[in-house]
Amino acid sequence: MKKILLTAGALLAWTSCAVAGAGGQTVAIPVEDYKAILERLDTLQKRVDQMEKAESPSGKATAAAMPSKLAKDVETIYDTLDKVETKTLKDRINLGAELRTRADFFKLKNDANFGGAGSVEHNDNHWTNRFRLNLDSEIRKNLLFTGRITAYKNFANSDNNTFANDSNAAHLPGDSGLKLDRAYVDWIPEGMPVPLAFTFGRHPSSEGPPSELKENRLRQSTYPSLLFDGEADGVVATVGLERYLGWKNSGIRFAWGKAYQDTNTSVSYMDNAGGMYDDTNIYAMFFETEIPGVRDSLLVLSALQASDLVGDGTYVGGTGKADIGDMTLYGLHVQANNLMDSGFDLFFSSGLNKTDPSGNTVTDAYGRPTGLMNTGANTDEHSGWAIHTGLRYNIPYKPWNNPKIGFEYNHGSDNWFSFTWGSAELYNKLATRGDAYDFYYIQPFNDNLFGRLGYTHIDYNYTNSGMHLGDFGDSTAELDNLYFLLDVRF
Amino acid sequence: MQKRIVTMLTAMSLMLPAAAVAASGDALFLQSCGACHKKGGKAAIVNPADKAGTVWEKYFARGRHPVDMGMSDADLQAVVKYLVKHAADSDQPAAAVIPK
Repeated sequence: MKKILLTAGALLAWTSCAVAGAGGQTVAIPVEDYKAILERLDTLQKRVDQMEKAESPSGKATAAAMPSKLAKDVETIYDTLDKVETKTLKDRINLGAELRTRADFFKLKNDANFGGAGSVEHNDNHWTNRFRLNLDSEIRKNLLFTGRITAYKNFANSDNNTFANDSNAAHLPGDSGLKLDRAYVDWIPEGMPVPLAFTFGRHPSSEGPPSELKENRLRQSTYPSLLFDGEADGVVATVGLERYLGWKNSGIRFAWGKAYQDTNTSVSYMDNAGGMYDDTNIYAMFFETEIPGVRDSLLVLSALQASDLVGDGTYVGGTGKADIGDMTLYGLHVQANNLMDSGFDLFFSSGLNKTDPSGNTVTDAYGRPTGLMNTGANTDEHSGWAIHTGLRYNIPYKPWNNPKIGFEYNHGSDNWFSFTWGSAELYNKLATRGDAYDFYYIQPFNDNLFGRLGYTHIDYNYTNSGMHLGDFGDSTAELDNLYFLLDVRF
Repeated sequence: MQKRIVTMLTAMSLMLPAAAVAASGDALFLQSCGACHKKGGKAAIVNPADKAGTVWEKYFARGRHPVDMGMSDADLQAVVKYLVKHAADSDQPAAAVIPK
């Protein structure tokens, strides 16, 4: 533009000289040259007009001012982005998947604790495949959906575990059927006087802290696994406390769920006649926060009341069903990941349970009346306790993709019981009434493929681990398990 | 069994010094990026889950950050690694939400 105007100026000066010459000094130029100069001026003026037109009122260059190919490319990109944006907005759910193949090699001594009798040594291997389809969606800014559908099967669709209920539907290997593992919505209503959120549906209540260390992933559940590890339907109201306490991620939760919902099969369509048993309701309260001054840490205080537990005699090889009483649980969980940048992840969990039997009983495998942690129709109350502690070390060795080694220990007393039927371990490790030692090594192959090699040893000091029916007895059972697994997550 | 546990713990503790000097991408992200990317700050809040891992890598490889962050290459790589680790397509935590 500048060059053109300078040229035009020079020509104008030359022309003005020629014109000036008419009044004073005369400059003689041929007529053809004079016409050529005028034509040249005319051409330049047209180009200046075109360039001025090409500028928008805002002064910014428009697509018309661009070279035609660039303008065409930009239009193509805009068209493509429109299609991509439309497609993205239509994809309301994000999908992810996980696949695990696991092999367990058991050695069990004196399996009286597992339904057998006498001193028996039993060796076995157990292979499973687990497929999970993960779903999530940010429906709106304050409305989030998360789901997980699972098929967890034994190799050859055999060697099934019979201790199945709703809380381990997607955590107990069986056939290739799909199970609803999780489906819940987080809703954060706007305009509330306090930060409030509701979570409803089938909850993220399995594989809680510290399970994620062993599973080599981030936190996967709301509740510490020592107290509650299973699939659960219910509603949770959470009040955020961070703005009041100044403690990161602090909040208090009020949870309600049903562990049993009675039905009357003699009435069509609806249960309108009342069933034979009371519903089992679970009421719980949890306070959690990141520990002030300790980055990536977690403190959870828990209190849980399960009212009108329904005892099912088939769980102990017997018959009958009854409302056997209430159970109260209290828990403390402390965890710090990568403590002081040391590479160590540490945790400590403890639990306390207390029974309030109703005196109702079912029949066990030997035909004896059996109640809530009691033999016979008595109402003796019992208390139990457990601890679970351990650590994981992240080995700073990049050529091997920073493998991890970990150790866990848990101990449960004679009357220890909590809701851990959805345990990721086939033997419900955290329900142990005795001592459990657990070692593992995690080898990441890349960001999506992991291997784990582990060894678990359990000394069962008492019988009925993981069972709320019947009184305990002494046990000398031992379980050794060597396992390896491959995980793919994407 | 107790002897085995002691051996294991001793072996793990010997590896402690090596881990202590490891770069911390999350701390760098909070300190360096968080200086501007914060509520009421010079720039909007940034969450690693705002972009997929590969997109984060390309973003910095193409020099798209509009302001010079004044970070060394090593620190920037540590931050990028942290962003990728917690990116939209990475493993995400799952728990009932806690409102702020």
